[in-house]
Amino acid sequence: MEQRSDTFLDNASEALKNVEQAKRRDIIATFAPLMRSAAIEGFDEFDTLRQHVKRVREHALDHLEYYLGQFEQQAVQNGNHVHFARNSDEFNSVVLDICQQHDARRVAKGKSMVTEETGLNSFLQRAGLEVMETDLGEYIIQRAGETPSHIVAPALHKSAGEIRALFQSTHDLGARDLPETVDLVAEAREVLREHFLKAEVGIIGANALVAENGYSMLVTNEGNGDLCANLPRVLIVCTTIDRVLPLAQDATAMLRLLVRSATGQAQTCYTSFYSGPRRDSDVDGPIETHFVLLDNKRSDILDSDYREMLECIRCGACLNHCPIYSSVGGHAYGWVYPGPMGSILTPLLTSLEQSHALPNACTSCGRCAEVCPADIPLPDLLRDLRHEENSRKLSAGRWRLGIKLHGWLARHPKLYQLSTAIAIHTLHLFGRKRGSYSSLPMASGWTSQRDFPAPQGKTFMQQYKARLKRLAEQRNEH
Amino acid sequence: MSTSARSEIFARLREISRKASAERIHQDRQALGSAPVPTPPAAEMCEAFLANVLKNQGSVDCVANRTEAVAAIGHYIYSHFRSHRLVAGNDPRLAAMPWRDAGVLPRFGRLEVGEPVALSFAQLGVVETGAVLTWTGKSNPAANNLLPEHHMVLVDTADLVPDMEHAWGRIKQELESNGRPRGINFIAGPSSTADIEGQLVYGAHGPRKWHVILMGKIPAEALSRARAIAAP
Amino acid sequence: MNERDREHSSPQRRKQVALFVTCLADLFRPSVAFASIKLLERAGCEVSVPLQQTCCGQPAYNSGNYEEAVPLAQQVITMLADADYVVAPSGSCAGMICHHYPRLLEGEWRERALELAAKTFELTVFLNDIAHIKPPGKKPSAAIPSVAYHDGCAGLRELDIREQPRQLLRDLCGIEVSELQQREVCCGFGGTFCAKMPEISGKMVDDKLNDIMATGADVLAGGDLGCLLNIAGRARRQGKKIEVRHIAELLQQDRDTPAIGEGK
Repeated sequence: MEQRSDTFLDNASEALKNVEQAKRRDIIATFAPLMRSAAIEGFDEFDTLRQHVKRVREHALDHLEYYLGQFEQQAVQNGNHVHFARNSDEFNSVVLDICQQHDARRVAKGKSMVTEETGLNSFLQRAGLEVMETDLGEYIIQRAGETPSHIVAPALHKSAGEIRALFQSTHDLGARDLPETVDLVAEAREVLREHFLKAEVGIIGANALVAENGYSMLVTNEGNGDLCANLPRVLIVCTTIDRVLPLAQDATAMLRLLVRSATGQAQTCYTSFYSGPRRDSDVDGPIETHFVLLDNKRSDILDSDYREMLECIRCGACLNHCPIYSSVGGHAYGWVYPGPMGSILTPLLTSLEQSHALPNACTSCGRCAEVCPADIPLPDLLRDLRHEENSRKLSAGRWRLGIKLHGWLARHPKLYQLSTAIAIHTLHLFGRKRGSYSSLPMASGWTSQRDFPAPQGKTFMQQYKARLKRLAEQRNEH
Repeated sequence: MSTSARSEIFARLREISRKASAERIHQDRQALGSAPVPTPPAAEMCEAFLANVLKNQGSVDCVANRTEAVAAIGHYIYSHFRSHRLVAGNDPRLAAMPWRDAGVLPRFGRLEVGEPVALSFAQLGVVETGAVLTWTGKSNPAANNLLPEHHMVLVDTADLVPDMEHAWGRIKQELESNGRPRGINFIAGPSSTADIEGQLVYGAHGPRKWHVILMGKIPAEALSRARAIAAP
Repeated sequence: MNERDREHSSPQRRKQVALFVTCLADLFRPSVAFASIKLLERAGCEVSVPLQQTCCGQPAYNSGNYEEAVPLAQQVITMLADADYVVAPSGSCAGMICHHYPRLLEGEWRERALELAAKTFELTVFLNDIAHIKPPGKKPSAAIPSVAYHDGCAGLRELDIREQPRQLLRDLCGIEVSELQQREVCCGFGGTFCAKMPEISGKMVDDKLNDIMATGADVLAGGDLGCLLNIAGRARRQGKKIEVRHIAELLQQDRDTPAIGEGK
């Protein structure tokens, strides 16, 4: 997918001007956290569960070679073709090859962030395939020619009115005007049902791969992924190498975290495990099934200080709880993954050069880490990326210089106290009457949005030292 | 291409992965134990299961035996579709039901486009999640779960398990003796979406309604208590 | 009970507290530090102010310049090594010392950082949970203002400060806090964030300010000057009438000093 993370500030500025979308984001930012907390209320052992799953995932990543090998062996035994891809290009080519081998013309696609990452849709479309996203949100943004703004709810930035207008301009509606949301859903259902029945290839993602038995886990509410997995004659499961868990019960333990954190449900409508092609005992299902497993720098991350990021289960809770995400929305981040998790993944999966603004889009408020079901210390990883940004001199020179000067001064207390005393006194003198400055040349970032409160007077250190001196003099007099 | 990608990825993982024997790795995983399970909404299994089904926006019927079950099923179909027809997989347990007593006309096989109701006999009901478990095969083609307007599921109280861990424990025997089913489906509600402005709508792609019939020895007050628990 | 605990719990010996003033109180609002000293003395502590203090290193640390942050952390650790207790009128600086020094440093310095972390407290936590400050004998004579409280993020999530400031306002001043709708949400300060991403920060502080104004409170109190300067500055810019103060000033019944951002 084309990236424009380097213009994050401009993107954000643009997004802040869209008042309608901002209003919807505010509503989501209010309700999503309430739904999550309602879902874990009364689940006293939620944190124990979080720690258990974390240990299992750490164990699985420690032994990824073993578990990935075990998964491959089981999946092949179940009758699948298993492919590996080092990068997006290899990944897309493998998928296209499979489609072409079957002379496929139509692809029905379930939600998969990995294929957003590799730009699979446009790749297949350029080769002449008709690719239809079937998750309602994905379908809407595909029709609109947009990208997801949220990893779980990709079209939440659009109003029902916009979606109605979109269907009116792209569907053959006749006299129907689809007044209610239910009508919009029914319209999409009808169009997509047709496509499900005609598509030769179904593509789905996976929330987990189970090493012990070669099943993949798919979690949805709509059931669109299951239609993709069961109706077309070829099924391709697209995911990454780090999704492997040792046991089936590990996948469903993770599910307990995932659904509560993602949508505030205790259980999604459809949780499905698929093992391979149609068996003798089957009367439906695909006749051929493939797994395409992408690395795309996951092994680099595994071998780095950002390893914990591979434990992310893509629930979107960090987005829903991030005040910056809710201020600017997902598109501002300029790539596939937005919010706190995206501000870490984007630099790691693309390059820090193109995306070093993202790790700065953080106040270290810590709310994301508090709710992260994978217990990933997101603000710490973001700060570590800023460290890398700083070390590689990608950040603005004046900021680096400013921090250096401040650091040097702070290491010399006498000089620090003397110079701050002078500066603060000056700021006090000119600002005391009004109490604050409406503009200050050295703090234009600050004063562009808010007044700069003037200091009270002399610094505390000046006053305190003077007081100590007075006390000492009084003692001497006695 | 795929082969070299495979060998390169595995070579890299070999460098990074911790060295241990398979046996040791399995022991380490065993040592991590099982996950904690959420407390059920009621101590009694039927009541807790029914409450969770209701929370999942399912509708429910409780019946004592197969005769009552076909009557309830017949009543459901007639009240919704003014019809006596339904589609069910080639499940011997369903074939043996006294359909004629209730005047229901089942067709056994895969649901065809346009047929509005399918009935599945669940392999298990999971109390923890209020989900029913089916697997694909002649006894329950995938289309029967996904394509009808209304999906009805019969659950025997003897097949209720408290949680997902127990569900896997029960399935394991089946997986080992009869081979792995192509698809294992936990279903917990009618198909739904909140993708438009967060507004919840049923019948996104699959069934608009999901009806669970619990059959067996069910405590008298279980359903009314379950309704009280599930009420918002 | 180890030796230190015994020493601390001994009724004869007053608690020896080193005040970590924090750079914002030092430079912008000395009244916060003076109020903190008085409160600690009221709670029966003997307060000293180490004179070498400058900055805890947060700006460098959060900007990702760990190399600059390390010597500052070491300077603070050395300076405060002999204190019995360290108290800071800021959740974010106390959080820096308690959580981030051990993460930033290695080896022996990490050990020393953990020692410092174990005896460092944010002001309201120390007054309420450790020193158990007593309510004044007679009820405060001044009219009780209506107060909203802003929870700083570091205090909330690094130090779990939730009830302590509310308890103190209740016990010492008879104030029942008017709660914000979104207590857990950041005000958009974030150290250098507010200057690096001013527009986003401006939107965030607007949301916070709207939430504050909706409580109808006369006063906004908080435990972190960074947040309070941000909120007061935005209130001034928007012409919104709210008296913004550090909680130490309120607890010390000091409302004569002009509020943050207010002129004389």
